[in-house]
Amino acid sequence: MSWILRVSVVLALAVVVACVPACSNKKSDKIKIGVVTNCTDPFWDLCEAGAMKAGEHYNVEVLFRQPEGMDVAKQMPIVEAFIQQGVKGLAISVIDPKGQKKDLTRIASEVPLITMDNDADADTGRLCYVGVDNKEAGRAVGRLVKKALPNGGIIAMFIGSELSANGQGRTQGVLDELATPDANGKPETRTINGQAVAGKLYGKYFLMDGAPTTDGGPEKNPQQYPHIMLGRLENVPDVCMIGLYAYNPPAILSAARSKSMVGKIKIVGFDENPVTLKAVAAGEIEGTVVQDPYNYGYKSVEVLAAVARGDKSKLLSSPLPYQVVTKDGGETQTINGLTIKFPKATDYENTVKSQFASVGK
Amino acid sequence: MTRILGVLGLLIVLYALLIESNPAAGSSRNLMYVANIQGRYGVVTLAAALVIIVGGIDLSIGSVVGCSAVMFGVLMEEGVHPFAAVGWTLLFGVQVGLVNGLLITKLRLQPFLVTLCGMFIYRGEARLIGGVVSPAQVIDEHPHFEHSLNTLTYLLIGKNEKGALVFPAMFILLLVLAVVIGFFLHRTAYGRYWYAIGHNELAAKYAGVNVDRQRTIVYVICSMLASLGGILLFLDSSTIQADSAGAGLELYAILGAVLGGCSLRGGEGTAIGMVLGAMVLPVLETLVSFRGLKNNVIPAVIGLTLLVGTIVDELIRRRSRVHR
Repeated sequence: MSWILRVSVVLALAVVVACVPACSNKKSDKIKIGVVTNCTDPFWDLCEAGAMKAGEHYNVEVLFRQPEGMDVAKQMPIVEAFIQQGVKGLAISVIDPKGQKKDLTRIASEVPLITMDNDADADTGRLCYVGVDNKEAGRAVGRLVKKALPNGGIIAMFIGSELSANGQGRTQGVLDELATPDANGKPETRTINGQAVAGKLYGKYFLMDGAPTTDGGPEKNPQQYPHIMLGRLENVPDVCMIGLYAYNPPAILSAARSKSMVGKIKIVGFDENPVTLKAVAAGEIEGTVVQDPYNYGYKSVEVLAAVARGDKSKLLSSPLPYQVVTKDGGETQTINGLTIKFPKATDYENTVKSQFASVGK
Repeated sequence: MTRILGVLGLLIVLYALLIESNPAAGSSRNLMYVANIQGRYGVVTLAAALVIIVGGIDLSIGSVVGCSAVMFGVLMEEGVHPFAAVGWTLLFGVQVGLVNGLLITKLRLQPFLVTLCGMFIYRGEARLIGGVVSPAQVIDEHPHFEHSLNTLTYLLIGKNEKGALVFPAMFILLLVLAVVIGFFLHRTAYGRYWYAIGHNELAAKYAGVNVDRQRTIVYVICSMLASLGGILLFLDSSTIQADSAGAGLELYAILGAVLGGCSLRGGEGTAIGMVLGAMVLPVLETLVSFRGLKNNVIPAVIGLTLLVGTIVDELIRRRSRVHR
């Protein structure tokens, strides 16, 4: 039987090695920087493109992984494997700031750690946060809503989760921007299409059901919620639907298309999903607030490469600026101390396309 | 013996590739870390394997793991002492197994359907009782539980109060459980009943085996082990999300069992094979991380490697049958 064992071992070895040839098992002496995201998404492909570019610029080897699902049990083994490989810096998109605090504190004591996209508590010892201020970005969404419906109207919000730090920040930002001192979440019941709807009033805007609709994530058929909402709002004037996670604006758009309501309602989006950008260029969506994930990846690697070489001057002390993409674009403005760009949708779409192309997407 | 040669060969190759990939990969810290994940996978693999031996299947394992993890957290948040919460959570597993077992044996429902429904029900239950739970949250609400939670984490996971891994407790737990289950399987009448039921249910019945009772017992053990897996997941992870915790784990568990020599037709399998089968996936996952594989190729590489392992394994078995 021993020959069978030998044959099987050799055969398995041969085939496994054949399966793993593409792996860049370069034993390079370059400094290694690890980037671990919170899930798998096209958003993170853009981030990867930026990280790889910065890797070339600063002559470091970038290890980039997108764990499946928003699952800490899948994220942590990757982080551990990166630490074991001797990365000299680590950037993580935190899934649960509170729950992960202990682990992050331990990791920060072993390698220079920064957070990106979703922050952790500063006392974990993370060096800095690379990402936008979600509340400020939410405010930008609020301004787009005001521009779309200057005389007020009915708004409906959609988001994947209200638990995450970015979800809460964004929602709060939108509502803060719309609210006025006398109408900041004032409960109100309106009769819409013969149905009594309990909502909340923020300034001149009536928020349907008084809270955003949460859908639990892109894999849980997010179209159904805007579809139901549009059914309740049929033939109602001055309606604006707001999608706050990357997949929400395309979901709203597809529901509006199926009900032939594109153009009859206003849509405001978040993030740079290619469908969203195309719709902004076509005038079907008023505008979208983008985080520029390419820059997240680039900045994270830039900062960590500098720290690994003993230079802490590149650590960020303030959030990165968001950008507001509209059909016609606009002049760069300074808003609440941040320099905000207003790119034209077609221009931004081309930028994103070339970023996707650089990682073979 | 031939049943475990394939998986043993695969493991040796994977470990060789892992250690060759990076000097740090062979460090005791890394091997311990991998062993610990193997322990956690192993507990649910034992669960799946036992059910497979009696000719059944349990697709609810992943959801039961998730639901137990959430329940364990919620119980402690509600003020139940961590040690008592372990007991209650295991009891939940017993109840799940009892329901599965009775539906399958008394109502004669298909195990596939019953446990598939369970998969949805317990995932839903997890989401109903709590969205996100974590040890940090429990300690925030009940600071006096910190010591007990740390003790549990040290004993079952092997992590100290700072979260650093000191020894692979979960792997040790797996070995202990495997010895116990191995003893039952290979040294007692229960094991003989279970193999007999898996081989030929009717023959076992005519031979005087209380098939329904034995099957129910196995489903109870299976779900209880899944609940234990949930407790381990809670203690090992810094945060548990009801949506995703343990999702898909049933398939990994079944995979581990089959790689370890269990036949999906029932009646075959050894305790040592189950342990070896459960060890494959964590090594493979660590290997792809260490080799710096690109995200997009990882699922395909993992799938191909497992397929190759299965083919080699099957070829060995055919050879051994011919030579017998």
